[in-house]
Amino acid sequence: MKKFKEYAAPTVVLFVICVVAAFLLALTNKVTAPAIAEVNAANEAKARTVVFAAADRFGDAVETSVEKVDSVVPALDKAGNVIGYVVTSHDDKGYGGKISVMTGVDAQGKVTGVSILDMSETAGLGANAKRDTFREQFIGKIKGITVSKDEAGENSIDALTGATVTSRAVTRAVNAAIEAAGGANNG
Amino acid sequence: MTVYLQILMTAILTGNFVLCKFLGICPFLGVSKKLNTAVGMSAAVVFVMALATAVTYPINTMLVKNNLEYLQTIVFILVIAALVQLVEIILKKFMPPLYNALGIYLPLITTNCAVLGVVLLNITENYNFAQSMFNSVGAGLGFMLAMVIFSGVRSRLESCDVPKFLQGLPIVLIAASIVSVSFMGFTGIVEGILGL
Amino acid sequence: MADKKKSLGREFAKGIIVENPVLRLVLGTCPTLAVSTSVVNAIGMGLSAMIVLVCSNIVISCLRKIIPSKVRIPAYIVIIASFVTIVQMIVKAFVPALDSALGVYLPLIVVNCIILGRAEAFAGKNSVIASAVDGLGMGIGFTVALCCMATVREILGAGTFLADAQNLLVLFGENTLGGFNGFTVIKDSSMLKPITILIMAPGGFFTFGILMACANKLAESKGKPKAELKGCEACPMAKNCALIAKGESCSEKEDKEAAKV
Repeated sequence: MKKFKEYAAPTVVLFVICVVAAFLLALTNKVTAPAIAEVNAANEAKARTVVFAAADRFGDAVETSVEKVDSVVPALDKAGNVIGYVVTSHDDKGYGGKISVMTGVDAQGKVTGVSILDMSETAGLGANAKRDTFREQFIGKIKGITVSKDEAGENSIDALTGATVTSRAVTRAVNAAIEAAGGANNG
Repeated sequence: MTVYLQILMTAILTGNFVLCKFLGICPFLGVSKKLNTAVGMSAAVVFVMALATAVTYPINTMLVKNNLEYLQTIVFILVIAALVQLVEIILKKFMPPLYNALGIYLPLITTNCAVLGVVLLNITENYNFAQSMFNSVGAGLGFMLAMVIFSGVRSRLESCDVPKFLQGLPIVLIAASIVSVSFMGFTGIVEGILGL
Repeated sequence: MADKKKSLGREFAKGIIVENPVLRLVLGTCPTLAVSTSVVNAIGMGLSAMIVLVCSNIVISCLRKIIPSKVRIPAYIVIIASFVTIVQMIVKAFVPALDSALGVYLPLIVVNCIILGRAEAFAGKNSVIASAVDGLGMGIGFTVALCCMATVREILGAGTFLADAQNLLVLFGENTLGGFNGFTVIKDSSMLKPITILIMAPGGFFTFGILMACANKLAESKGKPKAELKGCEACPMAKNCALIAKGESCSEKEDKEAAKV
């Protein structure tokens, strides 16, 4: 009996705590999972209309084999004609790791808008990539965008102050998106 | 191969866990007074990080398969805690010399945020098994590098005439800040060396 | 009764100033340095940690007579980790921008030494109400210290104050307070430029050092000792080390090791 108290009691108590904890977590997950999915879906839908304001609605995702590109969704006008693509792409070499970007590209291969979906860059520095002044630089640019610090020119954007790494990563992701949209245009 | 090298170098230099990501600050400030304890502690960290990654990677695959991602934190911390205890017992019994060198630091590491941090970061970065291992070992080595450098700085600090206002912990933190500045100089070096 | 009220008040107040977890006890340094780049992140982190701290303190204090002392640390860890995960899921669902801003530091509340430290030092020994009040006080103290750091770093380093406030205000619906999204204190184009390095990693250490020096000065004028990080003595795990090493305290072990060498 004494042995039971010494070994079994702690085991049982710990086990019960674990079971209760797992149960509570499952419960919370059940409540919050739909909300999280909803938030993500709403964010994506909102981002789409931001990067491609001219589109009336969006079609089903098409296949792509371009590296770093996660999805390519055609943008449709009222009549249902494809007028461009909304591409979700990413780059792993941001200052805080992966950066996910959504880019709208029209039929001429010009960028219609850029939106940062997900990133963990430093607040006040890399996180400024979310600001309009940075994102709007991409509008109207075509394939092969550069960061002006590396190569200034017509088709270049100005890097964020103190966050060149982030700026380069976003630019790479946008370039991948343009390539994917171009491929989809031809194919 | 370049990918692995890049992950390793990034974890050691540009993304140093202590000086850039602020993980594992407690042991960094607490155990860096003497060089030998600093080395012992960080060797134990490298060891536990690698082991924890090797064990949690398959567990995570299993959790993801069963849609149980929400149990990640709780499972990982328990696995790491149990693992550390187990390793300690095994070392004590079978490898006393190694235990004497590393063992005393092991219990300290259970709740070291760097260990849980590296495991969680491996998942958010979507690394595969080999990449995860490289990242973990790199993070551990980066921790060691920071500890060794900083223990040198601190031994100098001991013999300095520090303004009264800053004596004690404040000057240690300011010294850490300067060491961190030097690590900022590595920005871009990985891409530069590997020609990316 | 009056006496009890007074002591509860003291439990509450001590966490904020006299025993401020960050500036006096030097606990939870990792999140303090990492998320204090903006005030909004700091408030988000502080509140999340406070919720976890209060909840886990209450539960641990309720179960303090049931949990055998042998397995109390794993039990505490399980309880804390569950609350952290719950908070994380709630944040993901209702304040998604905060989740992406805090990143890995949100789940890492599990290993925040303040929480395990309070569980071990206070909640495991005191009544439920006292533990809840202690948790609340410590949580507020943590938040206040984080906000102090973040205010300095954000204003001087980024030239803004409360930037991206909507990240948090989204809790109360879209465009609360007329879409208030922070002030710009220093315009980038003006003669004055923000000191960018303050929001980068070195600035974190530096600001913390200066803040710690100020706190020490304040404590000194009140006749209290300086805050000090005494190796593993300051770490709540030191007690667990002692437990694991069967009666040997952590510092003793280190001394022995030093003696050997």
